[in-house]
Amino acid sequence: MTSRVKALVLTGYGLNCDIETAHACELAGFRAERVHINDVLSGNARLSDYGLLVFIGGFSWGDDHGAGVIQAVRMKKHAGEAIIRFVEDGNLVLGICNGFQTIVNMGLLPGFDADYRARKTAITYNDCGNFRNDWVHLAFDAASPCVFTRDMSHAELPVRHGEGKVVAEDNTLLCLKENRQIVCRYASSDGSPAGGRFPENPNGSMEDIAGLCDPTGRIFGLMPHPEAYHHPTNHPDWCRNRALQRGGGTEAAVHEVPGLRIFQNAFRYISEK
Amino acid sequence: MPHRLEIALKAHLHDAEGQQVRKKAAVYFGMDIESIRSVHILTIDKAFSEKQLAQIQHEIFTNPVTQVSDYKPLSVDFDWCIWAGYRPGVKDTPGETAVEAIEDVTEARFVAKEGVYTSRRYCIRAPGMTGDDARIIAEELLSNDIIQQVRVWSASEWDENTGIGIIVPKVMLDHVPTVSTIPIDSDETVRRISDDRNLALNENDIPVIRSYFNEPAVRTEREEAGLSDPTDVEIEYISQARSDHCNHNTFRGRFYYRDRSAGTTEEIESLFRTYIEAPTLALQKKKDWVVSVLWDNAGVGRFDENHYYVITGETHNSPSNMEAYGGAITGIVGVYRDPLGTGKGSRLVMGSYGFCVGERDYGGELKPRLHPRRLLDGVIEGVRDGGNKSGIPTPFGQVIFHPGYMGKCLVFVTALGIMPSSVNGEPAERKTTSPGDLIFMCGGRVGKDGIHGVTASSESFSAHTPAGHVQIGDPYTQKKMHDFLLEARDAGMIRYITDNGGGGLSSSIGETARLSGGCRVFLESVPLKYEGLDQWEIWVSESQERMTVAVHPDDENRFLELSRKHAVESTVIGEYTDSGKLHITYDGKTCAYVDMDFLTRGFPRWEFEAEWTDPADRGLFEPVLSEPADYKTLLCDLLSNPNICSKEWIARQYDHEVQGGSVIKPLVGKFRDVNSDAAVLRPVLESDRGLVFSQAVIAFYSAIDAYHMTTCTIDEAVRRLLAVGGDFDHIGGVDNFCWPTIAYDPVINPDGRFKAAQLVRSCKALAEICTKWEIPLLSGKDSMYVDGHLPGAYGEYHKVSALETLQFSAAGVTEDVGRCVTMDVKAPGDLVCILGETRDELGASAYYDLFGYTGLNVPKVDAENFAALYRSVSRAVKENLFASLHGIYRGGLAVHLALCAMAGDLGIRLDLAAVPATSGLPADRMLLSESAGRFIATIAPQNKDAFESVFAGLPFAFAGRVTEEKTLHVTGPGGRILLEAGVDGLRNAWKKPFGDLI
Repeated sequence: MTSRVKALVLTGYGLNCDIETAHACELAGFRAERVHINDVLSGNARLSDYGLLVFIGGFSWGDDHGAGVIQAVRMKKHAGEAIIRFVEDGNLVLGICNGFQTIVNMGLLPGFDADYRARKTAITYNDCGNFRNDWVHLAFDAASPCVFTRDMSHAELPVRHGEGKVVAEDNTLLCLKENRQIVCRYASSDGSPAGGRFPENPNGSMEDIAGLCDPTGRIFGLMPHPEAYHHPTNHPDWCRNRALQRGGGTEAAVHEVPGLRIFQNAFRYISEK
Repeated sequence: MPHRLEIALKAHLHDAEGQQVRKKAAVYFGMDIESIRSVHILTIDKAFSEKQLAQIQHEIFTNPVTQVSDYKPLSVDFDWCIWAGYRPGVKDTPGETAVEAIEDVTEARFVAKEGVYTSRRYCIRAPGMTGDDARIIAEELLSNDIIQQVRVWSASEWDENTGIGIIVPKVMLDHVPTVSTIPIDSDETVRRISDDRNLALNENDIPVIRSYFNEPAVRTEREEAGLSDPTDVEIEYISQARSDHCNHNTFRGRFYYRDRSAGTTEEIESLFRTYIEAPTLALQKKKDWVVSVLWDNAGVGRFDENHYYVITGETHNSPSNMEAYGGAITGIVGVYRDPLGTGKGSRLVMGSYGFCVGERDYGGELKPRLHPRRLLDGVIEGVRDGGNKSGIPTPFGQVIFHPGYMGKCLVFVTALGIMPSSVNGEPAERKTTSPGDLIFMCGGRVGKDGIHGVTASSESFSAHTPAGHVQIGDPYTQKKMHDFLLEARDAGMIRYITDNGGGGLSSSIGETARLSGGCRVFLESVPLKYEGLDQWEIWVSESQERMTVAVHPDDENRFLELSRKHAVESTVIGEYTDSGKLHITYDGKTCAYVDMDFLTRGFPRWEFEAEWTDPADRGLFEPVLSEPADYKTLLCDLLSNPNICSKEWIARQYDHEVQGGSVIKPLVGKFRDVNSDAAVLRPVLESDRGLVFSQAVIAFYSAIDAYHMTTCTIDEAVRRLLAVGGDFDHIGGVDNFCWPTIAYDPVINPDGRFKAAQLVRSCKALAEICTKWEIPLLSGKDSMYVDGHLPGAYGEYHKVSALETLQFSAAGVTEDVGRCVTMDVKAPGDLVCILGETRDELGASAYYDLFGYTGLNVPKVDAENFAALYRSVSRAVKENLFASLHGIYRGGLAVHLALCAMAGDLGIRLDLAAVPATSGLPADRMLLSESAGRFIATIAPQNKDAFESVFAGLPFAFAGRVTEEKTLHVTGPGGRILLEAGVDGLRNAWKKPFGDLI
């Protein structure tokens, strides 16, 4: 047990998905530690002790100057180089929701040509003009280098954000597509792309982008919340499915939980490293 | 010279914020606007070099992909430009986080009187728009003059070099803090001072206060402390502590209740003692899961062996009525501090909302400060930001529309937390203060916020007077504090914790110092937002996001270090003593010296006359109404009723899944668009136990009798809980009373005695049902004075009183979330079963309301018989017998059958003749009665026998089937088809009123 790979789950400054993210990491095999951002900025927590760094969901610094903006400024200034070294050492970075917004603002994504400092993409206000909590269908690119989504083709996950629209210049989008960095797209229930349609694409994201990885596939950011689907009863249809299967009771509640797969893939990758 | 940075989205990008304003202007005012672009403005009141300014602009505040920015006005085309910014002293959290980021990037420190202020301008393209139109948008969409200032420019008035100019809403008070002495030579003098200072001292309290300060022994002691007559600090403290808000004088008052119809009279010593405390204490002895009730900030029940859940509910009506967004966000963020301040502190796991407002499309002559539509938008957004930014799910809520809430709206906010059963080996629910403990104030700073709202609102605004009486809650600051305090708790550093809400430090320290037996407070050490506050203002300010914590001196440094790590300000502002005195100094000089037990000495109780007349004696009667011929249109109209129709747009704005424990969501069914009966979540992720939560508000029935309003409200909350799988043997309740003024006055409150009688009856009903169903009241609050005076068409003012309203919350624990049930019908062929009996009870129903009738036959609760049914429902849940389960609430059987069918996207065939009912009940009564105690269940055919044995001897019947064909098909006696309506059409009717809102 002592040799289990550790996951660092950032907390503090208005972040708020720390408990369930740490729980999902634990379920996947990691030893998860919730670490305050200031302990990372000050160097109290050493990244080299960990195999996975998770930027989690929430409203860092209240998010009033653009989601993830101030978190990115502070992380980049005080821990930016350490994080780049961490990635270069072959470790994993996952950014969920506010974490995705943050690592995009830091420049960790898209990370073209191993440049982890340039801001090439942005995540801005939902076209619908409001915060939205809903479940979405995601279609994964099997050819993506992303190590977190190996063998995943389709999943349902919840989104909960007011700023989730991924925006980039045409040439950036082209590069993202060529490099297969668009890991997952918002889709219809049959897996076909949402084509920008609301509410399948909940925020108007270009190319229906829900998640991106860097060219190595070891940095992954997405707007939906995989950690919020770690238990069968998280799914909106679980009661319906149980009744339709006519099983009833707890035994029917055992089925695959796609949110967890993302953490399990990360654990498998880093354990085999 | 301050710097002004303007930031906007690049012109080719969709401006969602501007688009929202454009849409509202179109829908609310019929204005035709081409486009609105928003510009965010930072006014940086501090000197910086060119290089630093470039750093600030490019490294922090401009996204190179999406934004443009400039220290000169950005060039954005408009016909009209509207600028909106905060008034001085209004909480500007973005300004504060901007300071943090700028300090980090430039390594320059902001000092006192330097700061950053955020504001916005909106560039409107609308060639035909007039200046009056622009001002309507400015004043009715983009700002509220209590907290914001606006300016409007036409294209020709705009100077592209100066733009909005430099506007710095800095608070400058230029006042030397002064303690004043209050003369107490006569009652008349004190009364006058009470009026002048807006203390709202009760007439009968004045002699008690005077006699205390005139006692020779008291005077001698005070002279030694350097005091004579009371100081303003002391008088303000007493007035806060004696206020109805803090002391609950109404619920602790004496009621003389006379029932004119029965010819009886009764004297009730205290509503609280008699109807809330006594039954709850009795139940606490019977129910071992009741951990802590009636003294702390929230009630505590056992969740499992190692965890307790914590629950409380609050209202924030008056502030929301003035400034809807600010009031509501302050309300939800404020109620979250109650569980945080319960026991040694608990983690927040969910919140809920209840909004009671006037009709959204009100078009009458009365002019409330905020139109109900705008008010509702504001409170929805306030609770949204307060909950979402706190990282606390909001999986349940309700909205009630009624003209009575035009006088004052109701904003109910409820919070649940979870805590370990022991902290550091000690029971987590217990706490006390001891002499020598340090008094810490943690979180936000103190300003003129919330001090005597009424006084402040009658002052004229100048450019630099703080407009702090209406606040804007700051979930960001509070979330940091929440995380810090829980870590401090787990490290065993917290000996006592409570929040600073109403009354501020005066109340939090005043109450906690009673435990140790005294305190010393050094007011000059309280961190302030700006200089110039008087001592009494520091003492009673209601600035938000603050907790008061008792810490042992040995832990002082550890506590401060942890606080720094979490970027939370914590300050020692005094210590607890056993001197018997509340002793406050400012720079070493005593400004308050009062016996701790003074407030419990000899203050007279409030007294109320209550006079009840039965509804029939009041002239209420049943309308003479024949059976309708067109049930289909009738049902569609009921489904389109604002109190029944879909309000999906609200639930979707609220994060209801954060923390990862969501089990039953607010919207369920095939298309995830129909309201669930209740919410279920797993607050402890390692466990499959669930916390079940529901609420009900059915104030309409108060038009007939608040007694039955109350029993039906509790019944609905209980059925909602049971319908998702809650356990009838473990239900904790929270009562939130919102009542119009009950003190009789022949001129200003001629029906006060009746409203007082309604309150007495409501309390009696509460006690009766809670005792019979063994529901301890884990927490509760009362909010009186729900009245408003609204101007009419001719300059006359109308007093508008709310319906006597009770929100009842029910919480419970389910051992296994895998047994939970939802309300959507699941499979064709399933049997439809109606549980409970339908009676002729349409009084104050949604059906009668269509015609403006009140009626007489209000629904009634038969506590004993319902309980037997409810126990069987819980048993059937444990045996997994239900495919779906749903309570029948407002609107009656027809409406709720439609909802079940819509949710499942299937049809239902129902034979009305089979439905259990009073014999001979006509079909319209069957379909539209709002009788309590009923459910619609569906079960798989193979469960029929098991089901029958669970419900043997109880009122239930298999009355239909779920069908593949998506039609609601109801037949009456003799097989006559009463209703045949396509489910899609019903869904359209149900979604029509608010369907286009997002």
